Amino acid sequence: MTTAGRLAPATSDPDTGGFFAAAARGEVTLRYCAGCGALLHLPRAYCWHCGGWDTGYRAVAPRARVYSWTVVEHQVHPAYPVPYTVALVELADEPAARLVTYLPGKPALYPGQELRARFERLENGTVLVQWRPAGAGDEAG
Amino acid sequence: MKTTGWQPGACAIAGIGTTDFSRDSGRSDLTLAVQAVLAALDDAGLAAAEVDGIVRCDMDLVRHNDLAEALGIRRLSYWGECGPGGVAPCAMVGQAVGAILSGQAATVVVFRALNGRSGRRYGAAPASARQETVGGNVTYDEFFLPHGLLTAGQMFALMAQRHMIEYGSTPEQLGSIAVACRDRAQANPAAQMHGRPLTMEDYLSARMISSPLRLYDYCLETDGAAAVVVTSAGRARDGRGGAVLIQAVAQASLPGTQPGTMFPVLMRDSITSLSSRAVAEVLWARSGLGPADIDVAQLYDCFTITLLLQLEDYGFAKRGEGGAFAADGGIGMDGPLPCNTSGGHLSEGYIHGMNHVVEAVRQIRGTSTAQVPGAEVSLVTSAPPPASSALILTADR
Repeated sequence: MTTAGRLAPATSDPDTGGFFAAAARGEVTLRYCAGCGALLHLPRAYCWHCGGWDTGYRAVAPRARVYSWTVVEHQVHPAYPVPYTVALVELADEPAARLVTYLPGKPALYPGQELRARFERLENGTVLVQWRPAGAGDEAG
Repeated sequence: MKTTGWQPGACAIAGIGTTDFSRDSGRSDLTLAVQAVLAALDDAGLAAAEVDGIVRCDMDLVRHNDLAEALGIRRLSYWGECGPGGVAPCAMVGQAVGAILSGQAATVVVFRALNGRSGRRYGAAPASARQETVGGNVTYDEFFLPHGLLTAGQMFALMAQRHMIEYGSTPEQLGSIAVACRDRAQANPAAQMHGRPLTMEDYLSARMISSPLRLYDYCLETDGAAAVVVTSAGRARDGRGGAVLIQAVAQASLPGTQPGTMFPVLMRDSITSLSSRAVAEVLWARSGLGPADIDVAQLYDCFTITLLLQLEDYGFAKRGEGGAFAADGGIGMDGPLPCNTSGGHLSEGYIHGMNHVVEAVRQIRGTSTAQVPGAEVSLVTSAPPPASSALILTADR
Protein backbone atom coordinates (compact mmCIF):
# COMPACT_ATOMS: atom_id res chain seq x y z
CA MET A 1 0.00 0.00 0.00
CA THR A 2 1.15 3.57 -0.68
CA THR A 3 0.05 6.60 1.27
CA ALA A 4 0.33 10.33 0.57
CA GLY A 5 0.71 13.19 3.00
CA ARG A 6 1.45 11.41 6.24
CA LEU A 7 4.34 12.12 8.59
CA ALA A 8 7.41 10.13 7.65
CA PRO A 9 9.79 8.78 10.28
CA ALA A 10 13.39 9.88 10.44
CA THR A 11 15.23 6.87 9.07
CA SER A 12 18.84 7.97 9.52
CA ASP A 13 19.08 7.96 13.30
CA PRO A 14 22.14 5.86 14.20
CA ASP A 15 20.25 4.00 16.94
CA THR A 16 16.92 3.36 15.23
CA GLY A 17 17.52 3.63 11.48
CA GLY A 18 18.09 -0.11 11.10
CA PHE A 19 14.45 -0.80 11.94
CA PHE A 20 13.30 1.29 8.97
CA ALA A 21 15.98 -0.08 6.65
CA ALA A 22 14.69 -3.57 7.43
CA ALA A 23 11.08 -2.46 6.91
CA ALA A 24 12.07 -1.28 3.42
CA ARG A 25 13.22 -4.87 2.79
CA GLY A 26 9.90 -6.20 4.04
CA GLU A 27 11.18 -7.37 7.42
CA VAL A 28 10.07 -6.71 10.97
CA THR A 29 13.22 -6.51 13.09
CA LEU A 30 14.13 -5.80 16.68
CA ARG A 31 17.49 -4.84 18.08
CA TYR A 32 19.29 -7.40 20.24
CA CYS A 33 22.61 -7.70 22.06
CA ALA A 34 24.86 -10.12 20.19
CA GLY A 35 26.70 -10.96 23.40
CA CYS A 36 23.92 -11.88 25.81
CA GLY A 37 20.86 -11.91 23.57
CA ALA A 38 18.98 -9.21 25.51
CA LEU A 39 16.22 -7.41 23.66
CA LEU A 40 17.04 -3.71 23.27
CA HIS A 41 13.68 -2.12 22.54
CA LEU A 42 13.22 0.71 21.78
CA PRO A 43 16.47 0.34 19.83
CA ARG A 44 19.70 1.61 21.34
CA ALA A 45 23.37 0.88 20.84
CA TYR A 46 24.54 -0.24 24.29
CA CYS A 47 23.48 -3.30 26.29
CA TRP A 48 23.46 -2.51 30.00
CA HIS A 49 22.73 -6.13 30.82
CA CYS A 50 26.21 -7.30 29.83
CA GLY A 51 28.06 -4.09 29.01
CA GLY A 52 28.24 -5.01 25.34
CA TRP A 53 28.32 -2.70 22.33
CA ASP A 54 27.92 -5.49 19.78
CA THR A 55 24.23 -5.10 19.02
CA GLY A 56 22.15 -5.40 15.89
CA TYR A 57 18.81 -6.08 14.25
CA ARG A 58 17.27 -9.51 13.92
CA ALA A 59 14.12 -10.42 12.03
CA VAL A 60 11.12 -11.60 14.01
CA ALA A 61 7.89 -13.14 12.78
CA PRO A 62 5.57 -10.55 11.21
CA ARG A 63 2.85 -11.46 13.65
CA ALA A 64 1.49 -9.55 16.63
CA ARG A 65 -1.48 -9.31 18.97
CA VAL A 66 -3.67 -6.38 19.99
CA TYR A 67 -2.62 -5.01 23.39
CA SER A 68 -4.68 -1.80 23.48
CA TRP A 69 -6.21 0.71 21.09
CA THR A 70 -7.90 4.07 20.79
CA VAL A 71 -10.30 5.39 18.17
CA VAL A 72 -9.28 8.99 17.51
CA GLU A 73 -12.38 11.11 16.95
CA HIS A 74 -10.92 14.59 17.53
CA GLN A 75 -8.62 15.65 14.73
CA VAL A 76 -5.30 17.25 15.62
CA HIS A 77 -3.36 16.96 12.35
CA PRO A 78 -4.52 17.51 8.75
CA ALA A 79 -2.75 14.37 7.51
CA TYR A 80 -4.68 12.20 9.96
CA PRO A 81 -8.40 12.70 9.28
CA VAL A 82 -10.73 11.21 11.86
CA PRO A 83 -11.95 8.73 12.70
CA TYR A 84 -8.90 6.50 12.73
CA THR A 85 -7.54 3.96 15.15
CA VAL A 86 -4.16 3.68 16.83
CA ALA A 87 -3.41 0.23 18.22
CA LEU A 88 -0.64 -0.81 20.54
CA VAL A 89 0.51 -4.31 19.61
CA GLU A 90 2.76 -6.91 21.23
CA LEU A 91 4.89 -9.02 18.91
CA ALA A 92 4.11 -12.73 18.73
CA ASP A 93 7.77 -13.78 18.96
CA GLU A 94 8.65 -11.20 21.57
CA PRO A 95 5.71 -10.14 23.76
CA ALA A 96 8.01 -7.78 25.69
CA ALA A 97 8.30 -5.69 22.52
CA ARG A 98 5.44 -3.44 21.51
CA LEU A 99 4.88 -1.24 18.47
CA VAL A 100 2.06 1.07 17.48
CA THR A 101 0.07 0.94 14.28
CA TYR A 102 -2.34 3.11 12.37
CA LEU A 103 -5.62 1.53 11.24
CA PRO A 104 -8.05 3.42 9.02
CA GLY A 105 -11.51 4.01 10.42
CA LYS A 106 -12.94 2.16 13.38
CA PRO A 107 -12.23 -1.54 12.88
CA ALA A 108 -13.64 -3.92 15.47
CA LEU A 109 -10.70 -4.96 17.66
CA TYR A 110 -10.39 -7.14 20.71
CA PRO A 111 -7.54 -7.83 23.15
CA GLY A 112 -5.22 -10.55 21.94
CA GLN A 113 -6.55 -10.36 18.38
CA GLU A 114 -4.00 -11.70 15.90
CA LEU A 115 -2.41 -9.26 13.51
CA ARG A 116 -0.12 -9.49 10.50
CA ALA A 117 2.51 -6.97 9.41
CA ARG A 118 1.83 -4.82 6.36
CA PHE A 119 4.54 -2.71 4.80
CA GLU A 120 3.21 0.72 3.95
CA ARG A 121 5.24 2.81 1.50
CA LEU A 122 4.95 6.55 2.13
CA GLU A 123 5.19 9.15 -0.61
CA ASN A 124 8.87 9.78 0.14
CA GLY A 125 9.67 6.07 -0.18
CA THR A 126 9.99 5.38 3.53
CA VAL A 127 8.33 2.14 4.61
CA LEU A 128 6.30 1.85 7.78
CA VAL A 129 5.45 -1.41 9.51
CA GLN A 130 1.70 -1.44 10.04
CA TRP A 131 -0.44 -4.18 11.54
CA ARG A 132 -3.77 -5.47 10.29
CA PRO A 133 -6.13 -8.15 11.57
CA ALA A 134 -5.05 -11.57 10.36
CA GLY A 135 -7.34 -13.41 7.97
CA ALA A 136 -8.87 -12.34 4.72
CA GLY A 137 -6.39 -10.65 2.40
CA ASP A 138 -3.34 -11.99 4.21
CA GLU A 139 -1.39 -12.24 1.00
CA ALA A 140 -2.38 -8.83 -0.30
CA GLY A 141 0.20 -6.72 1.57
CA MET B 1 14.30 1.51 51.68
CA LYS B 2 17.19 3.79 52.70
CA THR B 3 16.16 7.41 52.91
CA THR B 4 19.64 8.87 52.27
CA GLY B 5 19.67 11.55 54.92
CA TRP B 6 16.47 13.36 54.00
CA GLN B 7 15.60 16.00 56.64
CA PRO B 8 11.81 16.07 57.19
CA GLY B 9 10.41 19.54 57.81
CA ALA B 10 13.76 21.35 57.56
CA CYS B 11 12.33 23.62 54.88
CA ALA B 12 8.92 25.13 54.37
CA ILE B 13 6.72 26.89 51.88
CA ALA B 14 6.46 30.47 53.13
CA GLY B 15 4.30 31.97 50.42
CA ILE B 16 1.96 31.11 47.57
CA GLY B 17 0.70 33.08 44.60
CA THR B 18 -1.23 32.66 41.38
CA THR B 19 -2.55 34.78 38.56
CA ASP B 20 -6.07 34.48 37.29
CA PHE B 21 -6.70 31.43 35.10
CA SER B 22 -8.15 32.08 31.66
CA ARG B 23 -8.26 31.09 28.00
CA ASP B 24 -6.61 34.30 26.87
CA SER B 25 -4.51 36.18 29.40
CA GLY B 26 -3.51 38.96 27.02
CA ARG B 27 -0.14 39.06 28.83
CA SER B 28 3.25 37.56 28.15
CA ASP B 29 4.45 34.42 29.90
CA LEU B 30 6.99 36.61 31.65
CA THR B 31 4.32 38.97 32.97
CA LEU B 32 2.32 35.99 34.24
CA ALA B 33 5.42 34.65 36.02
CA VAL B 34 6.18 38.04 37.60
CA GLN B 35 2.60 38.43 38.82
CA ALA B 36 2.48 34.98 40.42
CA VAL B 37 5.89 35.39 42.06
CA LEU B 38 5.07 38.86 43.38
CA ALA B 39 1.87 37.46 44.87
CA ALA B 40 3.81 34.63 46.52
CA LEU B 41 6.43 37.03 47.90
CA ASP B 42 3.74 39.35 49.22
CA ASP B 43 2.04 36.37 50.85
CA ALA B 44 5.33 35.46 52.53
CA GLY B 45 6.07 39.05 53.53
CA LEU B 46 9.31 39.05 51.56
CA ALA B 47 10.73 41.49 49.05
CA ALA B 48 11.98 40.40 45.63
CA ALA B 49 15.43 41.66 46.62
CA GLU B 50 15.58 38.89 49.24
CA VAL B 51 15.23 36.12 46.64
CA ASP B 52 18.53 34.43 45.81
CA GLY B 53 17.30 31.28 44.08
CA ILE B 54 14.95 30.40 41.22
CA VAL B 55 13.77 26.99 40.04
CA ARG B 56 11.90 26.68 36.73
CA CYS B 57 10.24 23.97 34.66
CA ASP B 58 12.13 22.94 31.54
CA MET B 59 9.11 23.70 29.34
CA ASP B 60 8.64 27.23 30.70
CA LEU B 61 9.41 29.99 28.22
CA VAL B 62 10.66 32.12 31.13
CA ARG B 63 14.30 31.52 32.06
CA HIS B 64 15.83 32.25 35.45
CA ASN B 65 17.57 35.39 34.18
CA ASP B 66 14.34 36.66 32.58
CA LEU B 67 12.58 36.44 35.92
CA ALA B 68 15.52 37.82 37.92
CA GLU B 69 15.75 40.83 35.62
CA ALA B 70 12.01 41.46 35.60
CA LEU B 71 11.75 41.23 39.40
CA GLY B 72 14.87 43.27 40.12
CA ILE B 73 16.63 40.41 41.87
CA ARG B 74 20.17 41.66 42.37
CA ARG B 75 21.99 38.69 43.84
CA LEU B 76 20.85 35.42 42.32
CA SER B 77 23.18 32.69 43.63
CA TYR B 78 21.26 29.58 42.56
CA TRP B 79 19.04 28.43 39.74
CA GLY B 80 17.78 25.07 38.69
CA GLU B 81 15.44 23.34 36.31
CA CYS B 82 13.30 20.21 36.42
CA GLY B 83 11.24 18.31 33.91
CA PRO B 84 10.05 17.17 31.58
CA GLY B 85 6.98 19.34 31.90
CA GLY B 86 4.43 18.16 34.41
CA VAL B 87 6.92 15.92 36.16
CA ALA B 88 8.48 19.08 37.52
CA PRO B 89 6.55 20.95 40.23
CA CYS B 90 7.12 18.75 43.28
CA ALA B 91 10.66 18.03 42.09
CA MET B 92 11.20 21.78 41.68
CA VAL B 93 10.29 22.27 45.35
CA GLY B 94 12.70 19.44 46.16
CA GLN B 95 15.44 21.16 44.22
CA ALA B 96 14.80 24.36 46.17
CA VAL B 97 15.13 22.39 49.41
CA GLY B 98 18.42 20.95 48.15
CA ALA B 99 19.73 24.42 47.37
CA ILE B 100 18.76 25.71 50.80
CA LEU B 101 20.09 22.77 52.82
CA SER B 102 23.36 22.81 50.90
CA GLY B 103 23.81 26.51 51.55
CA GLN B 104 23.53 27.61 47.94
CA ALA B 105 20.49 29.81 48.53
CA ALA B 106 18.24 30.96 51.37
CA THR B 107 15.05 32.05 49.63
CA VAL B 108 14.05 30.21 46.48
CA VAL B 109 11.17 31.02 44.16
CA VAL B 110 9.58 28.08 42.34
CA PHE B 111 7.26 29.02 39.49
CA ARG B 112 5.40 27.85 36.39
CA ALA B 113 3.93 30.26 33.85
CA LEU B 114 2.28 29.42 30.56
CA ASN B 115 -0.13 30.74 28.00
CA GLY B 116 -1.31 27.18 27.61
CA ARG B 117 -4.49 28.10 25.74
CA SER B 118 -3.75 31.27 23.79
CA GLY B 119 -0.13 30.28 23.15
CA ARG B 120 1.36 26.84 22.72
CA ARG B 121 -1.39 24.27 23.35
CA TYR B 122 -0.14 21.01 24.84
CA GLY B 123 -3.25 19.20 23.67
CA ALA B 124 -2.28 19.80 20.04
CA ALA B 125 0.09 17.75 17.94
CA PRO B 126 3.72 18.60 18.77
CA ALA B 127 5.47 21.33 16.81
CA SER B 128 7.67 18.67 15.22
CA ALA B 129 4.58 17.30 13.46
CA ARG B 130 4.65 20.36 11.20
CA GLN B 131 7.74 18.87 9.59
CA GLU B 132 7.47 16.14 6.98
CA THR B 133 9.96 13.91 8.75
CA VAL B 134 9.65 13.30 12.46
CA GLY B 135 11.70 11.68 15.18
CA GLY B 136 15.31 10.73 15.63
CA ASN B 137 17.76 12.53 17.90
CA VAL B 138 16.74 10.52 20.98
CA THR B 139 13.07 11.52 20.68
CA TYR B 140 11.99 8.06 19.45
CA ASP B 141 9.02 9.89 17.92
CA GLU B 142 9.73 8.06 14.65
CA PHE B 143 8.01 4.99 16.15
CA PHE B 144 4.85 6.87 17.11
CA LEU B 145 3.93 10.08 15.26
CA PRO B 146 3.84 8.52 11.76
CA HIS B 147 1.15 6.12 13.02
CA GLY B 148 -1.09 8.99 14.08
CA LEU B 149 -0.22 8.81 17.77
CA LEU B 150 0.21 12.54 18.19
CA THR B 151 -0.95 13.72 21.60
CA ALA B 152 -0.69 12.91 25.28
CA GLY B 153 -4.44 12.42 25.34
CA GLN B 154 -4.25 9.67 22.74
CA MET B 155 -1.48 7.96 24.70
CA PHE B 156 -3.45 8.07 27.95
CA ALA B 157 -6.44 6.73 26.02
CA LEU B 158 -4.38 3.62 25.22
CA MET B 159 -3.63 3.31 28.94
CA ALA B 160 -7.28 3.76 29.88
CA GLN B 161 -8.39 1.15 27.35
CA ARG B 162 -5.80 -1.28 28.70
CA HIS B 163 -7.00 -0.62 32.27
CA MET B 164 -10.51 -1.49 31.10
CA ILE B 165 -9.18 -4.68 29.46
CA GLU B 166 -7.22 -5.80 32.53
CA TYR B 167 -9.56 -4.73 35.29
CA GLY B 168 -12.94 -3.96 33.79
CA SER B 169 -12.85 -0.29 34.67
CA THR B 170 -15.78 1.67 33.26
CA PRO B 171 -16.52 5.05 31.66
CA GLU B 172 -18.69 5.85 34.67
CA GLN B 173 -15.68 5.38 36.96
CA LEU B 174 -13.62 7.82 34.89
CA GLY B 175 -16.63 10.12 34.85
CA SER B 176 -16.82 10.10 38.63
CA ILE B 177 -13.36 11.70 38.71
CA ALA B 178 -14.38 14.42 36.25
CA VAL B 179 -17.56 15.09 38.24
CA ALA B 180 -15.74 15.20 41.60
CA CYS B 181 -13.22 17.75 40.31
CA ARG B 182 -16.03 19.81 38.79
CA ASP B 183 -17.91 19.74 42.10
CA ARG B 184 -14.85 21.16 43.90
CA ALA B 185 -14.60 23.94 41.31
CA GLN B 186 -18.12 25.11 42.19
CA ALA B 187 -16.74 26.38 45.50
CA ASN B 188 -13.67 28.02 43.94
CA PRO B 189 -14.35 31.36 42.21
CA ALA B 190 -10.87 31.23 40.64
CA ALA B 191 -11.64 27.96 38.86
CA GLN B 192 -12.43 28.23 35.17
CA MET B 193 -15.35 25.82 35.59
CA HIS B 194 -16.82 27.72 38.54
CA GLY B 195 -20.52 28.12 37.90
CA ARG B 196 -20.56 25.31 35.33
CA PRO B 197 -21.57 22.12 37.15
CA LEU B 198 -21.19 18.74 35.47
CA THR B 199 -23.43 15.70 35.85
CA MET B 200 -22.62 12.10 34.99
CA GLU B 201 -25.16 12.40 32.18
CA ASP B 202 -23.26 15.42 30.81
CA TYR B 203 -20.03 13.45 31.06
CA LEU B 204 -21.34 10.38 29.25
CA SER B 205 -23.09 12.34 26.50
CA ALA B 206 -20.06 14.52 25.70
CA ARG B 207 -18.23 13.82 22.47
CA MET B 208 -15.55 11.17 22.28
CA ILE B 209 -12.08 12.64 21.78
CA SER B 210 -9.95 9.50 21.68
CA SER B 211 -11.81 6.46 22.96
CA PRO B 212 -12.39 5.62 25.73
CA LEU B 213 -11.66 9.22 26.73
CA ARG B 214 -14.40 11.81 26.28
CA LEU B 215 -14.28 15.59 26.39
CA TYR B 216 -14.42 15.86 30.18
CA ASP B 217 -11.66 13.34 30.70
CA TYR B 218 -9.36 16.09 29.43
CA CYS B 219 -7.98 18.93 31.50
CA LEU B 220 -8.29 22.61 30.64
CA GLU B 221 -5.55 24.18 28.56
CA THR B 222 -5.03 27.37 30.53
CA ASP B 223 -3.25 30.71 30.55
CA GLY B 224 -1.85 31.50 33.99
CA ALA B 225 0.93 31.09 36.48
CA ALA B 226 1.51 29.80 39.99
CA ALA B 227 4.46 30.18 42.33
CA VAL B 228 5.67 29.31 45.82
CA VAL B 229 8.47 30.62 48.01
CA VAL B 230 10.65 28.00 49.68
CA THR B 231 12.91 28.79 52.61
CA SER B 232 14.11 27.24 55.86
CA ALA B 233 11.36 26.33 58.32
CA GLY B 234 12.80 28.78 60.84
CA ARG B 235 12.77 31.67 58.41
CA ALA B 236 9.26 30.79 57.22
CA ARG B 237 7.94 30.87 60.79
CA ASP B 238 8.99 34.51 61.02
CA GLY B 239 7.18 35.40 57.82
CA ARG B 240 3.68 36.70 57.18
CA GLY B 241 2.44 33.42 55.72
CA GLY B 242 3.85 31.15 58.42
CA ALA B 243 5.52 27.82 57.73
CA VAL B 244 3.93 24.95 55.86
CA LEU B 245 6.50 22.22 56.39
CA ILE B 246 7.95 20.18 53.56
CA GLN B 247 7.75 16.79 55.22
CA ALA B 248 9.05 14.89 52.22
CA VAL B 249 9.75 15.23 48.53
CA ALA B 250 10.44 12.39 46.14
CA GLN B 251 11.21 11.92 42.50
CA ALA B 252 11.69 8.54 40.92
CA SER B 253 11.66 6.63 37.69
CA LEU B 254 10.97 2.96 37.15
CA PRO B 255 13.38 0.27 36.07
CA GLY B 256 12.91 0.04 32.32
CA THR B 257 11.76 3.66 32.31
CA GLN B 258 12.21 3.95 28.50
CA PRO B 259 13.75 6.91 26.64
CA GLY B 260 12.12 9.99 25.13
CA THR B 261 9.68 12.39 26.72
CA MET B 262 6.33 10.67 26.35
CA PHE B 263 5.22 7.92 23.95
CA PRO B 264 8.00 5.36 24.71
CA VAL B 265 6.41 4.71 28.12
CA LEU B 266 3.96 2.55 26.13
CA MET B 267 6.83 0.05 25.85
CA ARG B 268 7.04 -0.49 29.63
CA ASP B 269 6.11 -3.86 31.07
CA SER B 270 2.84 -2.36 32.34
CA ILE B 271 0.90 0.64 31.06
CA THR B 272 -1.72 0.48 33.81
CA SER B 273 0.79 1.59 36.41
CA LEU B 274 2.91 4.72 36.25
CA SER B 275 6.28 5.86 37.55
CA SER B 276 4.21 7.08 40.49
CA ARG B 277 4.53 3.64 42.04
CA ALA B 278 8.30 4.18 42.31
CA VAL B 279 7.78 7.68 43.69
CA ALA B 280 5.36 6.35 46.29
CA GLU B 281 7.97 3.97 47.64
CA VAL B 282 10.51 6.78 48.14
CA LEU B 283 7.91 9.22 49.47
CA TRP B 284 6.50 6.91 52.13
CA ALA B 285 10.01 5.91 53.24
CA ARG B 286 11.24 9.50 53.55
CA SER B 287 8.13 10.79 55.29
CA GLY B 288 7.56 7.83 57.60
CA LEU B 289 3.92 8.13 56.52
CA GLY B 290 1.57 5.98 54.49
CA PRO B 291 -1.64 6.32 52.50
CA ALA B 292 -3.79 6.22 55.63
CA ASP B 293 -2.02 9.30 57.02
CA ILE B 294 -2.93 11.58 54.10
CA ASP B 295 -5.75 14.01 54.91
CA VAL B 296 -6.08 15.57 51.46
CA ALA B 297 -4.43 15.10 48.07
CA GLN B 298 -3.87 17.10 44.91
CA LEU B 299 -3.24 14.35 42.35
CA TYR B 300 -1.93 15.31 38.93
CA ASP B 301 -4.92 15.15 36.60
CA CYS B 302 -3.97 15.93 33.04
CA PHE B 303 -6.66 13.30 32.34
CA THR B 304 -9.07 11.43 34.59
CA ILE B 305 -7.22 8.18 33.95
CA THR B 306 -4.00 9.74 35.28
CA LEU B 307 -5.64 10.34 38.64
CA LEU B 308 -7.20 6.88 38.66
CA LEU B 309 -3.85 5.18 38.07
CA GLN B 310 -2.21 7.17 40.85
CA LEU B 311 -4.88 6.11 43.36
CA GLU B 312 -3.51 2.62 42.81
CA ASP B 313 0.17 3.55 42.52
CA TYR B 314 0.16 5.41 45.85
CA GLY B 315 -1.74 2.63 47.57
CA PHE B 316 -5.03 4.41 48.22
CA ALA B 317 -6.79 1.68 46.27
CA LYS B 318 -5.81 -1.85 45.39
CA ARG B 319 -4.44 -2.55 41.92
CA GLY B 320 -7.33 -2.44 39.48
CA GLU B 321 -9.70 -0.84 41.99
CA GLY B 322 -8.88 2.84 41.51
CA GLY B 323 -12.00 3.38 39.45
CA ALA B 324 -14.26 1.78 42.01
CA PHE B 325 -12.56 3.80 44.78
CA ALA B 326 -13.36 7.04 42.96
CA ALA B 327 -16.89 6.01 41.94
CA ASP B 328 -17.72 5.01 45.51
CA GLY B 329 -16.98 8.53 46.72
CA GLY B 330 -13.39 7.85 47.75
CA ILE B 331 -12.11 11.16 46.40
CA GLY B 332 -15.09 13.26 47.53
CA MET B 333 -15.13 15.67 50.46
CA ASP B 334 -16.64 13.02 52.74
CA GLY B 335 -14.47 10.21 51.40
CA PRO B 336 -11.21 8.82 52.74
CA LEU B 337 -9.14 10.91 50.30
CA PRO B 338 -10.59 14.28 49.29
CA CYS B 339 -8.81 15.12 46.03
CA ASN B 340 -8.12 18.14 43.89
CA THR B 341 -9.99 20.52 46.14
CA SER B 342 -9.48 23.56 43.91
CA GLY B 343 -10.98 21.68 40.96
CA GLY B 344 -7.63 20.43 39.71
CA HIS B 345 -6.39 20.57 36.16
CA LEU B 346 -9.74 19.18 35.07
CA SER B 347 -11.80 22.08 36.40
CA GLU B 348 -9.61 24.83 37.89
CA GLY B 349 -6.88 25.05 35.27
CA TYR B 350 -3.81 23.35 33.92
CA ILE B 351 -0.77 25.11 35.31
CA HIS B 352 1.21 21.96 34.68
CA GLY B 353 1.02 20.76 38.29
CA MET B 354 2.04 23.99 39.99
CA ASN B 355 -1.47 25.09 41.06
CA HIS B 356 -1.68 21.74 42.87
CA VAL B 357 1.25 22.73 45.09
CA VAL B 358 -0.44 26.05 45.89
CA GLU B 359 -3.73 24.32 46.78
CA ALA B 360 -1.93 21.80 48.99
CA VAL B 361 -0.51 24.72 51.00
CA ARG B 362 -3.96 26.26 51.35
CA GLN B 363 -5.25 23.01 52.83
CA ILE B 364 -2.63 23.11 55.58
CA ARG B 365 -3.34 26.77 56.25
CA GLY B 366 -7.09 26.10 56.35
CA THR B 367 -7.83 28.54 53.52
CA SER B 368 -9.05 26.30 50.70
CA THR B 369 -12.48 26.98 49.22
CA ALA B 370 -13.11 23.26 49.75
CA GLN B 371 -11.34 22.94 53.07
CA VAL B 372 -10.85 19.52 54.64
CA PRO B 373 -11.47 20.23 58.33
CA GLY B 374 -8.28 20.01 60.35
CA ALA B 375 -6.09 18.87 57.45
CA GLU B 376 -2.53 18.41 58.68
CA VAL B 377 -1.00 16.12 56.04
CA SER B 378 -1.34 17.23 52.43
CA LEU B 379 -0.11 15.26 49.42
CA VAL B 380 0.74 16.68 45.98
CA THR B 381 1.81 14.72 42.94
CA SER B 382 3.43 15.85 39.72
CA ALA B 383 2.97 13.14 37.28
CA PRO B 384 4.01 11.13 34.35
CA PRO B 385 5.21 10.44 31.74
CA PRO B 386 8.08 9.56 31.85
CA ALA B 387 8.90 9.92 35.56
CA SER B 388 7.17 11.70 38.39
CA SER B 389 7.57 13.51 41.66
CA ALA B 390 5.55 14.09 44.80
CA LEU B 391 5.51 16.14 47.96
CA ILE B 392 4.00 15.86 51.42
CA LEU B 393 3.28 19.07 53.32
CA THR B 394 2.48 19.10 57.02
CA ALA B 395 1.23 21.60 59.54
CA ASP B 396 3.83 23.29 61.77
CA ARG B 397 2.54 22.09 65.12
